[in-house]
Amino acid sequence: MNDEFLHGLRQDPPAAFARRLKSRLQALDAPAVPHERSPAWRWLATAASVAALAFAFTLPAVRSAAEAFLDYFRVVNFAGIAFDPQRTQQLWQNASIDLPALIGKDPAVQGAPPAPPVAYSTLEEASAAAGTRLRVPTWLPTGFAQTGVEVAGAHEFSVTADTSKLQTVLDALGITDVSIPAGLDGQVVSVAIPPVARILYDDGGRRLTLVQSRSPVVSFPAGVDLASLAEIGLRLLGFERAEAYRFAQTVDWRSTLLVPVPATAARFHQVEVQGGTGLVIETDNANPLIAPDQQVQTSTGVAAPAGGPRRGGSVVLWSSADSVFALLAPLPATDVLQVAESVQ
Amino acid sequence: MALETDLPTGYLSQAAAAAPDWDAVYAEQLPRVYNFFRYRLRDVALAEDLTAATFEKAWRARESYRRDLAGFATWLLAIARNVAADHHRGHREHAPLDEAAEVSAPGSPEEDNARLSDAERLRALIARLPDRERELLALKYGAGATNRAIAKLTGLSESNVGTIVHRIVQTLRRAW
Repeated sequence: MNDEFLHGLRQDPPAAFARRLKSRLQALDAPAVPHERSPAWRWLATAASVAALAFAFTLPAVRSAAEAFLDYFRVVNFAGIAFDPQRTQQLWQNASIDLPALIGKDPAVQGAPPAPPVAYSTLEEASAAAGTRLRVPTWLPTGFAQTGVEVAGAHEFSVTADTSKLQTVLDALGITDVSIPAGLDGQVVSVAIPPVARILYDDGGRRLTLVQSRSPVVSFPAGVDLASLAEIGLRLLGFERAEAYRFAQTVDWRSTLLVPVPATAARFHQVEVQGGTGLVIETDNANPLIAPDQQVQTSTGVAAPAGGPRRGGSVVLWSSADSVFALLAPLPATDVLQVAESVQ
Repeated sequence: MALETDLPTGYLSQAAAAAPDWDAVYAEQLPRVYNFFRYRLRDVALAEDLTAATFEKAWRARESYRRDLAGFATWLLAIARNVAADHHRGHREHAPLDEAAEVSAPGSPEEDNARLSDAERLRALIARLPDRERELLALKYGAGATNRAIAKLTGLSESNVGTIVHRIVQTLRRAW
């Protein structure tokens, strides 16, 4: 056995496959041309949104981040990315800027805030309000029953890119080796969010929540370099240059929500849900997605800490057809996945 | 055969602003990416799928590829590695080179039979290697990457890559 032998196992790709793939690649260019402002149904993560999501996960008060995804993004695929919240915190703590003041002055976000959700007594009424047939699980863990359903109305907002502010933030953070894409300043991203429904289930002590919505429509000017924006977002999260670049280049930003998960607080993995790719996030300890009084010991938990069992829960995110779903519960991931699989 | 760390000579036109000759890039890089997956994964169909996924991602991002950050081939393999990692997260079973036995080679039937047998034996040996070592072999012998390119991709030092690959081959030889 030598190098030649080891190399000798190589094989040329089948010619038919090579031709097919080349055709597919050429076809990818076609939709990019016709629209000056193409609806970006599947664009999910600008730099700002990645950062915002990351911070949402770091805040214990934010217990329904999964719902936030549905409020603001169109999801086809979910991909997790572990980040170090301490690193992020250090990066921002050292910044010599008053970020709230910077963002608050001359705000770039325009649009009325969403109306509060309205409770409905039946799924049919809620479906009518949501403008789509609400899907429900056909299997629930023992003891769980539906206790409520509510729908938040549709709303729209737009964000105007301000590269001088972004550059100020980057400078303050000492991030000098990224370039803001040319021509970004003044570009407007419009987001139209369909109604979002929440169906609540309870077993008398724990709550399981199914959130669903048709996908938001995000429109932005053609030619926006999403990968570069994403790279900036990842840098703002504390990722190193090479790492951020690699992630940014390998994710399809028009169809994938990159979910930053604090490495110290949660685990995640991709799963197949109803034939598509979904994401499971589970924790053994305090889950930022689930209220502390709702958390239970998980089947995957390691040694319980002194003073009581580990408490946590699971979140499953997936998309199906034209809708996105989030299911969260203080239950082991296997149970939550089983519920997700049964949603019809 | 060895993978260079940038676009091969001649793929970029003389004019700095001109686009690369993507046809030539495609013809050059497709076999490397394809064989990277063939050395890593169980079946040919899956290797084709992941090769396609890699090229689609690269194609979408090609305008933003930055030559100052990584050689093109290395960049492409970085995407391939991530595609493989994404796949592995959802699929735990791996038995690389199962399809290596199908490698066709010119020669007599006896030679073909001997080659198939060798390939099967090698496949079984590689399948027992830890995942990281299988990946290094796939980069080295499937993608034809240089130790320098592998070092860039994996974060190992170049000398470390050489040492590890040498040790893996020695392990395979001893078990042969």
